[in-house]
Amino acid sequence: MSTDDQDDDLDVRDEFLAESQEIVEALSRDLLVLDQMQKEGTPDPDLINEIFRGVHTLKGIAGMFGYHQVGAVAHALEDLLDDLRLGRVTLTQEVLDVLFEGVENFQRLLGDQAGVDLSQYAQSIERVSSPKEAPATGLESYDLDPGVLAVRTEYEEHRLRTNVEQGNPLYRLKVRFSLASIDTALEELKTRAKPVAEIITYLPSMGEIDRDSIDLDVLLASRAPEDELRELLVHDDSELMAVPRKGAEATSVASPAPVVPPPPPESHGPSVPVPAAVAHSIPPAVLDSKHDDASHGAASHDEAVDLLSLRSVANTVRVDIRKLDHLMNVVGELAIVRTAIGALSETLRAKPELRQLATELHRANRSFERNLAELQDGILDVRMVPLRQIFDKLARVVRQTAREHEKEIRLVVNGADTEVDKLIVEELSDPLMHIIRNSIDHGIEKPKVRELAGKAPEGTLALNAYQKGNNVLIEVEDDGAGINAEKIFEAAVRRGLVSKDARAELSQEDIFDFIFTAGFTTRSAITDLSGRGVGMDVVKTNISRLGGVVDVASESGIGTKFTITLPITLAIISALIVKVAGRRFALPLTAVEEALLLRREAIRTVEGRDVITLRGATLPLCRVDDLFELRAAAQSPDKSFVVVTALGNRRLGLIVDELHGQRDIVIKPLGKSLRDVRGFAGATDLGDQNVALVLDASSLLEEVLKRADSAPILEATT
Amino acid sequence: MSEGIVRQKTIMPVPASGPSSAPEPEVFEYLGFMLADEQYALPLTSIREILKPPPVTHVPRAPQDILGVVSVRGRVTTVVDLRRRLRMPEGAMTKFSRVLLVDDGREVVGVLVDAVLAVVRLGPQELELAANVGGDTAEYVRGIGRPGARGAGRSARSDGRWTLKDDILILLDPRALLRR
Repeated sequence: MSTDDQDDDLDVRDEFLAESQEIVEALSRDLLVLDQMQKEGTPDPDLINEIFRGVHTLKGIAGMFGYHQVGAVAHALEDLLDDLRLGRVTLTQEVLDVLFEGVENFQRLLGDQAGVDLSQYAQSIERVSSPKEAPATGLESYDLDPGVLAVRTEYEEHRLRTNVEQGNPLYRLKVRFSLASIDTALEELKTRAKPVAEIITYLPSMGEIDRDSIDLDVLLASRAPEDELRELLVHDDSELMAVPRKGAEATSVASPAPVVPPPPPESHGPSVPVPAAVAHSIPPAVLDSKHDDASHGAASHDEAVDLLSLRSVANTVRVDIRKLDHLMNVVGELAIVRTAIGALSETLRAKPELRQLATELHRANRSFERNLAELQDGILDVRMVPLRQIFDKLARVVRQTAREHEKEIRLVVNGADTEVDKLIVEELSDPLMHIIRNSIDHGIEKPKVRELAGKAPEGTLALNAYQKGNNVLIEVEDDGAGINAEKIFEAAVRRGLVSKDARAELSQEDIFDFIFTAGFTTRSAITDLSGRGVGMDVVKTNISRLGGVVDVASESGIGTKFTITLPITLAIISALIVKVAGRRFALPLTAVEEALLLRREAIRTVEGRDVITLRGATLPLCRVDDLFELRAAAQSPDKSFVVVTALGNRRLGLIVDELHGQRDIVIKPLGKSLRDVRGFAGATDLGDQNVALVLDASSLLEEVLKRADSAPILEATT
Repeated sequence: MSEGIVRQKTIMPVPASGPSSAPEPEVFEYLGFMLADEQYALPLTSIREILKPPPVTHVPRAPQDILGVVSVRGRVTTVVDLRRRLRMPEGAMTKFSRVLLVDDGREVVGVLVDAVLAVVRLGPQELELAANVGGDTAEYVRGIGRPGARGAGRSARSDGRWTLKDDILILLDPRALLRR
C-alpha cells in the first residue's frame, strides 16, 4: 500500500470520526430536551424518532468503517429506542440514564477504539429493555375504518393506542391537495396541526378521480375543541369529522370512503424527501418520519435514514484546525512581505526619477494590505465556534452529577452562541467540568437542606457566556450554600499555606484564592466527584495557559460564582509594543486597560511595595526591568510609563521605558526548551526578522501579586 | 531573507540504518564544525539548515546556555549556545559563526557554532563508540570519528580559513544535546 493510500485511509477515518462526533453531539442535545420533557410528562414522539434515526445512521456508518463496537452499541440502543417509540418500553429516568450512558460510550469509543468494556453496559440496556405487557386499550370502542386499521404500521398503531388511552378524541380530516403542490401543502398542514393535534396516519382516498389533485384521508387525535380544529385545519377543499365511538349514532359520517390498498413507496407522493441542499436547515417537523413509515413500516426506515445521511454532506466542509493554523502562518508571513515592500517603496520614493513608480508601488501595496486584512479576518472567522458545543456536554455532566448526588438541579444556559476560537473551546471543557462538579458537590445543597434554609428544593446552576471587549467571559453561578471562608482558612492553616495569625490580614478574596492551590480540599472524607483536592488548581493552570484568569465570588447561604475571563482568539491578537532596557516586548491588549506617564513623585510605598493611586484606587507597580533582571537598578531612565494591566478583578501597573504603539501580532509558541520559563505567552516576529517576546499578563499578575500577598504572611509567620 | 541561508539541505541523507541501494558497507554522513579549536560533528540527517546568525532576542529567565530566540521565516526558534552547553569558554561571534538548525525529532533548535567545516563520510572502521570518552560533557558525545583512518571525507572550505584536519571529530548525539 502506498503512502497516498494510507493518507486517504486516514482522511476517510477522520471524516468518519468527525461525522460521528456530530451525530453524537446532536444525540446528546436531543436527549437533554427529552429528559426535560420526561420530567414534565410530555415526551415528544417526534423527538424519540429523531434520536432513533441518529443512532441508526451512526450504526450504519460505524459498520462501514469497521468501528464494530460503536456499531454494536448503536445497534443495542436502536432496539431500545424502537421499543420506546413503539411504546413497548416506557420512558423513565432509568431509561434516560442508559441512553446518556450510550452517548458517553460513543464518545469513549470514538476517542479510542480499544479498551472499552461494554459488557456491563449491555446488561444495563438489557435491564431497561424488558418489554412491558401490551396494555388493553379502548381502541376497539372506536368505529374505525377497517381499511385504515389494516394498513397502519406498528408505530402508528402505538400512537393510536396512546392517544386513545389518554382519552384524546379522534378525528378524520378529508382534504384535497393539488398534485403540483402536495409536498408543501401537506407540510404546511402538519405544521399547522402540530400545536394542537397529532396526525396519526393518512392515506389517499378514492374520491372522484381527478388528474390534478389527490384526496387524503387523515386520521388525527386532538384534545382541542372541534370548532378550533375546524377553524385551524378546514379550508375550501377539506372536511373534518369526529370518529364516532361504537354505539353512538354516526352523525356526519356518510358511508366511509373506500380505502385503497397502501401504495408502493415510489408512488407515495408526500414522502418524497426535501431537496438535499436544505437538509440541515429543515425544521424537525418536516423530517417527521411518520409518512415514511406509513407505507413501508418499521422494517424499512433504512431507506429514509440513508437518504438523510447522504444529504448531510450538503454545504459545510470540515477542516482540520492545523490547516487553518498553517494558513494563519502564511498570512503572518505575507504581512512580513508587505512590510518589506513598504520599505522598498520608501526607498524608491527617495529617487526623483522613480517617484512615479514608487507611488504606484505604494498604491498596490495598500491594496495588498487591505486584502490581507480581509483574508486574516476570514480565517479567524472560520476558527470561531459557538460555546454551545461544550455547553451541551456540560449539561450532560450536570444531569449525571445531580443524579449521582441526589440533588435536584435546574440548568440555565445563557449566551451559548457566544463564539470563541476553536482551540480555546477544546481546552475549556475540562476546567468547566471541574467547576460544575465542584458547584454541585460542594455548593448546591440536597433538596431537604434547601427547604430548611427556605430555598426552593431545586437548585439552580447558571452557565452564562458573553463577550466583553476583546474578552469572553464565562460564568458558572449556583444558588447553593456559598463558600465558607473560615473553613477554607482553617484548611489552609492545616496545610501550612498560611499562618494562623494572618487571618486579619486576609481579605475574603485572598482566602477564596486558596481553593486554587494544588491538593487543596476542605473535605475530610473523599467523595467520588470532588474533594480529592485535584481540580481547582488544574482549572487555574488550564485557564491561565489560555491566557485567561478565573475569579471566584461567593456569599454564604446565597451562592457562588466562578468567572472565567478569556481572550477570544489565540491566533492573532492586538498588542501594545513596549520597550524596556532597549528590548521590545508585546503585551496583549486584552489585558491592557490604559497606559500613562509615570510621575515619580506619585509613587508611594505600602508594605515594601511601590504603588500609585489611580482614580482613587491603589495600583501596585512592578518594574519590568527588575522583574527580568534586564539592567542594574541605578540605570533606570528619566522617563517611564505605566501600563495598567488587568485581568478579571486583578490589576497591576507595569513600568516600561517607552510605548511603541499598537499592532496585530501572531503569537508563536516558545519551543520545548523554553517551556519552563515563566512570564511569556510566546514570541512574535515583528516583521524585520526581529523577535519580540509576548508578555503573559495572567502569569505576571499571578506572580507579582502573589509575592505581594505572601509578604505580610511570611512576616507574620516568622 | 534567503541570503541568510548558506545552504539548504541538498545532500541526500544517508540513513543510519536500513537498506541502501549501493552494495558498499554502511557509511554515515556527518556535518563537521568548529567549536573552540576542536572539531565536532552532528549526523547530517539531523541538520535541517545552516544559517548565518539572524538577530537573536534574549529570553530573560531562560537557562544560561540558551542564547535566545530567532525568527526563521516566521517560525520562532530557540538557539542554544553550544559553547556554553558544553561548558567551554565563551567566544565572540565572528563572520564564520553559523546557526545549525538541528532536528532531534521533537523540536527544531538552532545551535550556534564557530564555523562549519564540511560533510564527512565515515565508515564503520572510522567510528569509535563513546565508551572510552570521558569528561564532564560525555553525556552529549556519541563517539569519536577518525576520518583519516580510511582517507575519505577530507575536504577544505574554499575560503581556506577552516580546513578539516586528518584528525579526530567528536561526534555529538543530537537527542542528548537538545534534551532538557
